Amino acid sequence: MPWFRILFLGLISLLGFNNDIFAQNTLVSPQDFTAFDTPNDAGGSVSLTWRVVPENNKPEVPYLILAATAPDGPWFEQTTLVNLKSDYPQYFGLSASNKLWSYCEITDFKQSLTDDNPKPITATTYFKLAVTDGSKTLGFSSVVSAMHQGNWFDASKINILIFVVIFSFVIMFFISLARKNPDLFIRRIPGLDAIEEAIGRATEMGKPILYLNGLDGMGSLSTIAATSILGKVARKVANYDSQIKVPCRDPIVMSVCQEVVREAYLEAGRPDAYNQDNIFFITDDQFAYAAAVDGLMVRHKPAANLYMGYYYAESLLLAETGAAIGAIQIAGTDSITQLPFFITTCDYTLMGEELYAASAYLSREPLQTGSLKGQDFTKGLIILILILGSLASTAGITFLVNLFKTF
Amino acid sequence: MIKRQLPLLIAFAMGVIFIIQFFIPHQISQDLLTWVNKWLMIIGGISLLLGIYSLLNFHYLQIFRNKPGWGFSLIMFFSFLISVVVGFTPSLINVILPLPESSVQSAEQVKEWYRITGLKDGSSLDWIFRHGITPLSATMFSIIGFFIASAAFRAFRARSLEATLLLLAAVFIMLGQTPLGGMLWSGIPDIMTWILSTPNTAAKRAILFGIAMGSISFSLKIIFGIERAYLGGKN
Amino acid sequence: MDNTVLLGVWLAVGLTLFMYSFLYKDNVFFRFGEHVYLGISIGYIIVRVIFNNFINDLYKPLVEDRDYILIIPALMGLALYTRFFTRIAWVSRVIFAFIVGFGAGLGIPRTIAGGIFKQLEGVLMPLAAIKDGFFFNADGNFTLVNINSLIIIVGITSVLVYFFFSVEHKGVVKSVSRVGIYFVMIAFGASFGYTVMGRMSLLIGRCYDLIEFSSPKYYYASIVLLIMLILVFIIYEVVIKKGEVLKTNE
Repeated sequence: MPWFRILFLGLISLLGFNNDIFAQNTLVSPQDFTAFDTPNDAGGSVSLTWRVVPENNKPEVPYLILAATAPDGPWFEQTTLVNLKSDYPQYFGLSASNKLWSYCEITDFKQSLTDDNPKPITATTYFKLAVTDGSKTLGFSSVVSAMHQGNWFDASKINILIFVVIFSFVIMFFISLARKNPDLFIRRIPGLDAIEEAIGRATEMGKPILYLNGLDGMGSLSTIAATSILGKVARKVANYDSQIKVPCRDPIVMSVCQEVVREAYLEAGRPDAYNQDNIFFITDDQFAYAAAVDGLMVRHKPAANLYMGYYYAESLLLAETGAAIGAIQIAGTDSITQLPFFITTCDYTLMGEELYAASAYLSREPLQTGSLKGQDFTKGLIILILILGSLASTAGITFLVNLFKTF
Repeated sequence: MIKRQLPLLIAFAMGVIFIIQFFIPHQISQDLLTWVNKWLMIIGGISLLLGIYSLLNFHYLQIFRNKPGWGFSLIMFFSFLISVVVGFTPSLINVILPLPESSVQSAEQVKEWYRITGLKDGSSLDWIFRHGITPLSATMFSIIGFFIASAAFRAFRARSLEATLLLLAAVFIMLGQTPLGGMLWSGIPDIMTWILSTPNTAAKRAILFGIAMGSISFSLKIIFGIERAYLGGKN
Repeated sequence: MDNTVLLGVWLAVGLTLFMYSFLYKDNVFFRFGEHVYLGISIGYIIVRVIFNNFINDLYKPLVEDRDYILIIPALMGLALYTRFFTRIAWVSRVIFAFIVGFGAGLGIPRTIAGGIFKQLEGVLMPLAAIKDGFFFNADGNFTLVNINSLIIIVGITSVLVYFFFSVEHKGVVKSVSRVGIYFVMIAFGASFGYTVMGRMSLLIGRCYDLIEFSSPKYYYASIVLLIMLILVFIIYEVVIKKGEVLKTNE
């Protein structure tokens, strides 16, 4: 009958104009709402999670978190959340179920949504979660509670801890192996072999050797490596009866270098030849240091320049001036950004790892060379992981990738 | 015996403590790291006197022994004294013995007083920093522009395959970054992007692996007392 | 214009030109600028250290906030000076060991996290997309994406082989190392080219400043000082050097 058709069409159009009401009526109350102390942190934060449900999983559906100091309230609105993602492996692990949870962290207690001066959470706090349509609440979760505390172990870093332990054992194993078999093969490192040649050349020419420790302080590993090399270089300089100048940027580095060079001269049986004034402090300012060293180079015209340690932008200022005066130049740095400049201006360059290997190479002591073998073993392991990991990743197996995840 | 062993024990203890510190998120652990960093800054500050003594002694000897260029050492002393005197006068006295409120005429006079001396913006030391240190640093930094050109001229001669690869990579990157590269050939920016994202990434990552392993191995040797050169004396 | 600003501009321009004169050769102007730079930088550092490190970080917390634990670093800093007394010089080594041990321990886990794990995370990618086929995507167009992953693996492997210390570089190892060195050279060339632009822009910036300071507002500071500098150089080269040549001929 036509009037039924009109009524039906009217009902359909009414439904069409009010489809948002229909959408909201399909929203469900939050499920499996949980509160717990945020793991792996210093304290001060509580984590809230709830299960992702398809009906609520729309960008325009806001959630509202309420908090209270007692289970019966009064309840205060803390924050509204929209467009939640669900991928927090550091809390839920790396399995597929990680994607089934929404997550939020609460670090302070607000009196209202617009509270600009919230207080930190100091006692057990009660939470409930509501799903809203923007103006009214449509469903509440159950009430949960939690209190934050500082954690004593960061479980998300366990893979790093395991690697530290494994690597330490590998190094120690190869060092003990080197004790039993001291004749370990170490390939030639031309830059280090050239040091003796450079010192000999400087002695023949009657010119000093300039040795720079880099611009970092004594806490930097590259500076420690540089001072270690300095000891060996100073010993050769003492044997050759030549002169070494060590301008420093850090007073503590200067003190250490003075000790190192003094001991080197003592070991070489030339304590009389040691001159403390040859190891001196210039300034802490990067470019004032570079200007002063450049001035030193053009006036004293050292026959050999050794740049060991960590460098910044001034590397080219130093190395180019050294090249201009015709000195033989050997650089060793783990500063990736400056390596290209040293490569283009110096006769020999120790790249990255070679700087750390220098001490072992020059001393040839079993305890030192054994560690190089350990490093090589680990490098081989890395290559294996790379190949296997890429193949596994291609096959969709993400175990190896997940093993090296950092959070 | 203790003179030799105690530093090694301290190095071991500090090393182990700060390896473990990384895995402990508790506030006590974070505070420990903050404290030690602050302590090192204080130690570094106190050690500065060692450096100052070394520098001033070096230049004093230049003047005393009438060495060539002693006049410049005098200039160095003069500049140093001006900076120090300008930096320390009344503002230091004001810090240790604050001006009593009653002796202050007005807020503007106090402001003017601080403006003439001290570290605050608009002070005389700040003037020396803005018109002395800043242009000098900027000039030294800009000199690298000249040096980079001379280094490139010397290095970029295709005498070997390695040098050729170095040259080609540099040329493609330089051209790719400018509109000229795109004008010469539309493929240059793509080649630049490919070089940066593929072979460059591969080599850099590998070097970083090597540096990481070298530095960890070196650190372990320091912690276990195998590497002792920093203490002076025999390993 | 404020006289202090004008004086400051003339000082800045003068020092700039003095330092640039180093590009010609070492000379009295560069030495002057170098020693002024040294003096004022050291003076500035002392004042900054005294105010920031001593007064703000040590004196005030110790005296006002009664943070007595800070006596420890103060004593440690003073202990560095024991190296001047032979009998107690070993105490300074304890401080060196403290600093070095801290640096070593701090670095290990952070280097593993940043230098190894983070790098591996970025590299362990699929070599081929099974869905799209090996080198072709769903539209049948050739794509380099997967070849790049393969190249990266080859590059990293060959560079790591180059850095092997306990294996002699001969045979297969030598060939693989060669490939590694080629990758390294490409990377360094790329770094070099990338940095050139940045350094040139610094130089251009400095030149812009000099051009600005050559305006009448600053009484032609750059032009006047540059002309003075050139005149002095000419006088030195022509007059004084000529005098030296005449003396040696006599």
